[in-house]
Amino acid sequence: MVRNIELGLGRPLKRRQLLKGAAAIAAAGMFPAIISRRGNAADMPTLVNSIRSLSNPYHATWNAGGAAFAKSVGAEYVTLVTEGNSEKGIADIKAILAKTGGNCAINIDPNDAPDARPIVEACKEAGAYVVTQWNKPADLHPWDYNPNYVAHISFSGVPYGKAMAEALFKSMGGKGGIVALGGIESNVPAIERKAGLEQALKENPGIQLLDFQVANWSDTEALEKTNAWLTQFGDKIGGIWAANDGMGLAAIEALRADGRAGKVPVTGIDGIKLAVEAIQKGEMAGTVAWDPFWQGGMGLAIAFDAKTGVFDPAKEPKDHREFYGTGVIITGENAQAYYDTNIKSEPTLDWKDIWGRASGQIQYN
Amino acid sequence: MAAEQWCHLQSAALPERVQTLNNSTTVLSSNNARRPRLRRLRIASWAPVIVLLLLCAIISVINPNFLSFGNMVRISQSAMIPLVLGIGATFIILMGSIDLSVEGVLTLAAVILSMLVLNGENANDYGLFAVAAVLIVGAGVGFINGLINVRLKVPSFMTTLGTWFIGVGVANALLGGMATRINDPWIRGLAIERFWGFPWGVWVALLCLLIALIIQNYTRLGRHIYALGGGEELAALSGISVARVRIAAFTIAGVFYAVGGILAAAQLGLGNAQIGNGRLFTTITAVVVGGTSLSGGQGSVLQTLVGVLIVVVLSNGMVLMGVPPSVQIGVQGLMIIAAVALSIDRKLTKIIK
Repeated sequence: MVRNIELGLGRPLKRRQLLKGAAAIAAAGMFPAIISRRGNAADMPTLVNSIRSLSNPYHATWNAGGAAFAKSVGAEYVTLVTEGNSEKGIADIKAILAKTGGNCAINIDPNDAPDARPIVEACKEAGAYVVTQWNKPADLHPWDYNPNYVAHISFSGVPYGKAMAEALFKSMGGKGGIVALGGIESNVPAIERKAGLEQALKENPGIQLLDFQVANWSDTEALEKTNAWLTQFGDKIGGIWAANDGMGLAAIEALRADGRAGKVPVTGIDGIKLAVEAIQKGEMAGTVAWDPFWQGGMGLAIAFDAKTGVFDPAKEPKDHREFYGTGVIITGENAQAYYDTNIKSEPTLDWKDIWGRASGQIQYN
Repeated sequence: MAAEQWCHLQSAALPERVQTLNNSTTVLSSNNARRPRLRRLRIASWAPVIVLLLLCAIISVINPNFLSFGNMVRISQSAMIPLVLGIGATFIILMGSIDLSVEGVLTLAAVILSMLVLNGENANDYGLFAVAAVLIVGAGVGFINGLINVRLKVPSFMTTLGTWFIGVGVANALLGGMATRINDPWIRGLAIERFWGFPWGVWVALLCLLIALIIQNYTRLGRHIYALGGGEELAALSGISVARVRIAAFTIAGVFYAVGGILAAAQLGLGNAQIGNGRLFTTITAVVVGGTSLSGGQGSVLQTLVGVLIVVVLSNGMVLMGVPPSVQIGVQGLMIIAAVALSIDRKLTKIIK
């Protein structure tokens, strides 16, 4: 009988130890799915939000929205975090499906587009209802998985990238030079937002794009690129367009170190709190709020209503199954109002109005 | 038994010792027979400086704005944080260890600072006490790194990987994913207020460099760090307390990372859990490009200064020269290989891992 297993470590490892280790690893893998609060109602579906991390304002607000909806219906609420790891994301979903026996409504921002397929298939098999947001393969459609794959929600970057460019041009008086900070080059939102910027540039010949740099959604990189631009273009920079708020705020800090914050308008996208505050201070010219609170709460509401039979997904039109949500454009005019209703206090949404922000079926090129 | 053990240790340490002696003679001796080798080594150690000057020359030919005072200030602003981080990492790399906790400590420091000074989220306003607290936190994390490394004998790679994640995790838990705006005029002043044309943060970074130089060249700890990198068994046999040196080095590195965190928070005007992203890569790159050997024992914090300037000047210069964004990262990779290849003395290097 083989008692000891050589692992090439120069030291025999007892089989019992190996088994203990394996058990520990398996237990650790299950752990994230187990931490959850117990609900009272036994047949009430568990509500599950699966997001990338809790370390950014966007997903933290998403989670708050989910918690708010769960509270409104009195269901158990679970947050799964992928930490950017697709394997973990899929494994956690399977674990929660097994734990609840499929009695759950899931709202997920898949870590990467290909992850959506195994997740949807697992949900269908278990009888759970799922809504995906942002990422899914173009040929994966909710109506192919009736009724469990309820809907997919995304936001088109093109009109909002364009709207921000227009807000920027307006605050520059319609002429001058701009520089632009883009997100990760292969990233769909980054590509779409840039396309929107380009459309706006085409329609505004008075504006010249001095340079476009990729800052990979990173504050630090955005700061450094802006610093280099200040050397290269100096006073020729009349405005800065950034593909998200973090990069836009970093550009403002670079301007501040140069004594020019507030003199050169900057726009962002995402609608985070600090950006709205910067608009109120006049340092930023605009941003777009996706309203992650709505995404986190309403995504769950749609899946929950389908699961509890409020509506039948199979009978809904396609522009309710795969739709673009509506972003809120924030500029100096409505910044205060937005701040008061969405940031100072927790927003109150009508969770019954599930299709209120559907603005058209998603287009694929 | 004891004698046997001693013999065993001796024989194990012997090749190591020969090599170490060899190294030190090539650096120190003025023996005539060693001359050509000595000169080669000197050229090799100047290679990063030559690379830096060459880089500056090329960029300023293409875009003369590069040499303007305004741009020098901006380069110094971009260099201050990598410099402070690089100084800390240099001590660890000189010992032949590695420190991956850079981002963890920096993030934790920035987040704690943003919560303790005058900020947009709570009523705290501890000013300089907050800075002291953050430095203590940095030292604490470094101390724990050292302790785990020495007492539990966990390799530095895994230890610091762990504390990296723990640091970011705690920062996350503290802020719940949100960003905190810093309103403290002193902290913001590090990035905005100037002295002789340069932001205060740059002077802080230079002060750190001075302190590091003193530690490296004029203290017993500095010499012991080199000794550990040259050959740990020999250092132990000659009576150096390896454990104490390691713990001290990690603690000091932790303090430098915390300073980096303070500067990062000052520069971006906020603390959030993502403030450290990407900084580890820049730090290690700068240290290695400066000519400090990853195998330990060779290098210095001054070389790290050169390495940091190479990395920063290159990324600034690529924007000035109009290098397409998609090519920039590739150029950085080429630069790393080129700079390291130039600074290695291949005659002394027998084994490549």
